[in-house]
Amino acid sequence: MAMKEVLEDLRKIVGDGRVSTSMLERYCYSQDASCVRGMPDFVVRPENAEQISEILRLCNKKGIPATPRGAGSGLAGGAVPVKGGIVLDMSGMNHIIEIDIGNLQVIVEPGVVQERLNQALKPLGFFFPPDPGSSAFCTLGGMISCNSSGMRSVKYGTTRAYVLDLEVVLADGSVIHTGSKVLKSSAGYDITRLFTGAEGTLGIITAAGLKVVPLPQARRLVAASFEDAEAAGRAVVDVFSRGITPSACEIMDKTTLEVLRRCNPAVALPESGDLVLFEVDGTNLSVDEAAREVGEACAPVASSVRIAQSQEEMDSIWAGRRLVGAAVSRLDPTKTRVYAGEDVGVPIREIPSLINKVQKISEDLGIAAMKYGHIGDGNLHVALFIDLMNREEWERLDLAADRIHRAALELGGTVSSEHGIGLARAGYMPAQAGAALEVMRSIKSSLDPKGILNPGKLGL
Amino acid sequence: MNLDLESINRCVRCGTCRSVCPVFEEVGWESANTRGRILAMKGLYDGLVAGPDVLDSLNTCTTCGICTASCPAGVKPPDMVEGVRRELVSSGIMSREQALLKERLFSSGNVFGDPGDRLAWLKRRGQEGDWLKGDKAKAIYFVGCLNSYRYQDTASRTFDLLRRFGATILADEQCCGSPLVRTGFDAGRLREANVRQIREIGADTIITGCAGCYSTLKRDYPPDLRVMSVPEFLADRLPELDLKPLEMTVTYHDPCHLGRQSGIYDQPRRVIESICRLKEMRASRESARCCGGGGGVRVGYRDLSLRMAKRRLADVPEGVDFIVTSCPLCIRNLRDAGAGRKVIDIVDLVAASIGDSASAD
Repeated sequence: MAMKEVLEDLRKIVGDGRVSTSMLERYCYSQDASCVRGMPDFVVRPENAEQISEILRLCNKKGIPATPRGAGSGLAGGAVPVKGGIVLDMSGMNHIIEIDIGNLQVIVEPGVVQERLNQALKPLGFFFPPDPGSSAFCTLGGMISCNSSGMRSVKYGTTRAYVLDLEVVLADGSVIHTGSKVLKSSAGYDITRLFTGAEGTLGIITAAGLKVVPLPQARRLVAASFEDAEAAGRAVVDVFSRGITPSACEIMDKTTLEVLRRCNPAVALPESGDLVLFEVDGTNLSVDEAAREVGEACAPVASSVRIAQSQEEMDSIWAGRRLVGAAVSRLDPTKTRVYAGEDVGVPIREIPSLINKVQKISEDLGIAAMKYGHIGDGNLHVALFIDLMNREEWERLDLAADRIHRAALELGGTVSSEHGIGLARAGYMPAQAGAALEVMRSIKSSLDPKGILNPGKLGL
Repeated sequence: MNLDLESINRCVRCGTCRSVCPVFEEVGWESANTRGRILAMKGLYDGLVAGPDVLDSLNTCTTCGICTASCPAGVKPPDMVEGVRRELVSSGIMSREQALLKERLFSSGNVFGDPGDRLAWLKRRGQEGDWLKGDKAKAIYFVGCLNSYRYQDTASRTFDLLRRFGATILADEQCCGSPLVRTGFDAGRLREANVRQIREIGADTIITGCAGCYSTLKRDYPPDLRVMSVPEFLADRLPELDLKPLEMTVTYHDPCHLGRQSGIYDQPRRVIESICRLKEMRASRESARCCGGGGGVRVGYRDLSLRMAKRRLADVPEGVDFIVTSCPLCIRNLRDAGAGRKVIDIVDLVAASIGDSASAD
């Protein structure tokens, strides 16, 4: 690659101030929140689809890898340019293009931060439900590319359920729309769903039409404490059996609760056992009834049940829960959380088995683990934390992450429920996808024959 | 280079700080947010050369601390940034602006390099003789460079208020050292000159109307000295001030080094609400945006600093007569960004309430 020539071409496309080859900038863009590393040759901050189209034409002609990146908050290296080339920092394309409540949708640029969209929608009585723990800073483009979700996916589903239309720049620079403003369509292959979760390997998303839904009038939070995960699992099944779909259903183990208490000592949390947080939403009347029903379902197996008394109490519990994953250092300042084996998922009835397996892996390898997650949809987050300066602890951590991934697969689960595959989990794709991986490879080579789009990812 | 590796490693690179860093909002490059700055530190540890890109990354931090307030891992980035700046400076690595700042400060004793008399504001009143005899006093009014040279009426009004309670001033006050400490230099010489005079006067309390001075006096001066901000001091003495209500509505800008760093939120509000209506800014208290002036950013990156100030002005609610604050650096930056005389010091508001017709106009 004639670097100087490419640099000049890029400057012509986006202007001098939007291309960087500085060592520091390249270093900053060589990583996300995962352990994956890869140094880009150029960092570009494009402003629109036309520029991206020109950049991809250049990349396609010269065989230069192009890796899109949102906030770089990913946990699997999806935005890390492992084959070098260009990182396209999409976070500057952050305009909400249209809020079209009459059609129950919004059109956004990919760099819009999830929380900012919801701040704009709130006064209109609407919201975009997928809510990762990183919603205060992750971008919608990143969420679409990883099919992200969060605590409310048990009721509202994942990002995929809300994407109506994507404007995508393909590898050859052409621009397509995958859908339209209609809320449903049965016209041919569902390309929108194909690009959702593709982690930028099939095209670069430059705009998205997203469905929004009415904000519920009210929410209630029920915190139930259980002696063990099996008891918690039984209560969750009983809640569903009563015809109640909670808007969130989160389990947290003892270590997680300890970290939460350190983050905010004022939060009223039980001292022992595993805690399940059930949130119900709906009308003012229906939430009281649903909260009571949840309490009744839990009572026979729970050691304590408490309904949060105020909005402030609910907010503080959820705020703590959202950030608990990054807060492990508060328990032991010499340890840092490493994101590995952190996003497995299993059929929901297998959650207690998975929790027990993870506990055993943690004990066998002597690696501390915090376990929390979405018990209502089978997604368990495992936070492994180690002394980063200790090479031997790193080795045990890698072994623990591998065993956790394999445990999930043995239970008929997935190595990633909502964070994505990137490079960190690419090695599990043959076991995860089986013969379907070949179909994925065919799609990839059809849309990106030169392999310029986020190469090295998804095990393709 | 002696880097705080424990803090660097504590950062999990989650990106929370990315959405709150006011510098990043203007610049857009990853190296201009807190996570990027911590990566710059990690890079230095791994052998990255401290070139202009690294200096720009580290020196554009206003040390406003909004990232500290939101960091789930409990990292304190402003302390880390100041620590690395010290390390670089001690290795002779600094920007031209840093070098000039140091030269100005040590040659003149003030941040402007102004050769003029620091006490001109007092001498104009023809009273300096009464106050500079070195009489013993329990409290000192530490004026600071900005009020001494740029906002002399505010200095004069503050002194009028504080002397009612027995405060005096230093005959040869030097810069507190804040601009040096924030940008990586040792301010020992200036600090010693000030401390020697404070000891001679026998004071145990220092009162200042500048958030930057407050922070430095509190953190870098002998711990036996009690440091108070003017709003704290006034809030404790409201009944004695004989304040009269004013028919106006104001908003209050929390200076970062007084608010987030020192937790002084309620006292200025108590003073204001004793005088007039207070309407909060769109982001206030712990969430208040930085004016963009601190941490050496106004000195080194004027344009960036003013862009941040402009954005802060967008937080001002409709229908307010004044933006009140208690830091002359915030006043200067917000005024220069377009707010003009609408930004006033809390002392100017108090003086107007007491009956000084020249204030708050």
